[in-house]
Amino acid sequence: MSNAVTVRELSKSFRIRRARSGGLSARLHDLIAPQTEAVSAVDRVSFTIEKGERVAFIGPNGAGKSTTLKLLSGILYPDEGHADVLGFVPWRERKRLGFHLGTVFGQRSQLWHHLPARETFALLARVYEVEPALHRARLQLLTERFALGALLDRPVSQLSLGERMRAEITASLLHAPQILFLDEPTIGLDVAAKAQVRALLREQSQQDNATLILTSHDTGDIESVCQRVIVIHGGRILWDGALTALRQRYLKTKRVTLLCDRERLTVDLPGVQVLTSANYQTELVIQLDRTTLGAVVDAVAKGSTLRDLAIEDQPLDDVIRTMYADADRS
Amino acid sequence: MNTLLKYWAFVRVGVVRALNERGELYGRLLFLPIILGVFYELWSAVGEAGMPTASAPHDLVWYLAATEWVVLSPPLIFNDVQEDVRRGDIACALPRPISYLGSMFCQGMGMLAVRAPVLGLGLFACALAFTRVLPEPSDVLWVAAFGLAAMGFIVACYLLLGLAAFWLDDVTPLYWIWQKSLFLLGGLMVPLELYPEWFRELGSFTPFPSLLSGPASALTTHVTTPAGIALATQLLSWSLGITVAGALLFTHVTRRLQLKGG
Repeated sequence: MSNAVTVRELSKSFRIRRARSGGLSARLHDLIAPQTEAVSAVDRVSFTIEKGERVAFIGPNGAGKSTTLKLLSGILYPDEGHADVLGFVPWRERKRLGFHLGTVFGQRSQLWHHLPARETFALLARVYEVEPALHRARLQLLTERFALGALLDRPVSQLSLGERMRAEITASLLHAPQILFLDEPTIGLDVAAKAQVRALLREQSQQDNATLILTSHDTGDIESVCQRVIVIHGGRILWDGALTALRQRYLKTKRVTLLCDRERLTVDLPGVQVLTSANYQTELVIQLDRTTLGAVVDAVAKGSTLRDLAIEDQPLDDVIRTMYADADRS
Repeated sequence: MNTLLKYWAFVRVGVVRALNERGELYGRLLFLPIILGVFYELWSAVGEAGMPTASAPHDLVWYLAATEWVVLSPPLIFNDVQEDVRRGDIACALPRPISYLGSMFCQGMGMLAVRAPVLGLGLFACALAFTRVLPEPSDVLWVAAFGLAAMGFIVACYLLLGLAAFWLDDVTPLYWIWQKSLFLLGGLMVPLELYPEWFRELGSFTPFPSLLSGPASALTTHVTTPAGIALATQLLSWSLGITVAGALLFTHVTRRLQLKGG
């Protein structure tokens, strides 16, 4: 399978103003000769993404996720390094790449607020040079899929956040892009709307075989939509691999719920913490580096009859938090 | 052809938007009889007092109607650019396969296509009501042609003003400087002939006289074909200059773009 994105040693820093401390004279000094400092947003990042892959780009605030997406969409120019997106160098061939690229920046809007969604979509079809017949067919498909029928003739300014996000994603998919950059596409949405947007993104990218790169602070987005995770921290890549491998690598605990014939249970093993034990149900947390799940099951089975067993992985949020903490320590 | 069609689509967006925002247009229309009425009385009083004026009072009212038309019609499109930069929505616009400045200019021209005729008719009606004198059709044609060209130029200048938002959070002070310079050096209230020589000299180094006094002068003085060619040349030269400046400035700011919030 060929690569949709190739990034080699990509770096980008920003110059930010640093205010001098002090009173009025410091303020005046700032006004005349402002002090700036370079902040590295992306630091020699390299990765490749295959066509049709769905990749999550995650990291804490200021890690460089959005900056990387903006470099790859040609909005920002890098300080150093090379990137190839669908055969285009984004910052040099932004407009040519634009025909094949769909973007959703969750905190920005690509819709015209004073226009009804339908007119915005028609305008975008013109911009992306989509044939009218194709546009009609594509719009009908997406309208049904995103349940936008009743909203099409309402001005965008009158849509709720969830409705607007559905319209934003529709707008980004109208020209059937080969690659989609989604920067926090579910930000601010309620649980139901998030689930809906995630399902739609996954299905649509599968249907179009579109490459999808998503950044999000919401691990639900990552688990529901993506197969691969790139974790970025301080502008550098901490992890690049399958979501399941990330869990295996960083999973430090498991939560176990046991049902047995003893009303209360004690498990005297190192690394096992009993959270609750009552009414024949016991909840435990196992430190995997100190004991194994098998040892716990054996210990329980020795003194009682095990009727049921449920094992939960540590939430992905915790896994990622652990990664960030490890990175900060090192 | 596709390229032309996509820019045309933005002109249409501008038309729709201007129709949606007609409240502002009505507000401007309400202002017209007040300003023309005040100046009609003023110029009449000046004439009756035997004080020197460059032209007859009714010609000066028509002159003012023409300059106000040029000043009031262009949409304040710099606000849109400023908002796009402030909110970071420019991040959504830049990857599109269309020039951001070109699309904004076309949107501005679409808005102008609604605003200019409405305000033009309003000003024509008001000036006629006060003066009860009709200008020569050829003079009206001169004002319409050069006035519209000047408005197009002003829309382009507003885009440039908007780009200043990459450095300033609020470009209103720049607009204020632009507006006052246009009023003073362009000859908004009175023809430039009434100004001191040195002031006219100063103005000739700027585009402002060709934006206001140039189009409106047909209503106070006899204009000739060479004068028309000279004015067209000036407008074209300044337009070329502003296009090059806009393209260079846009390339500069996008190369150094720092988007708020990542």
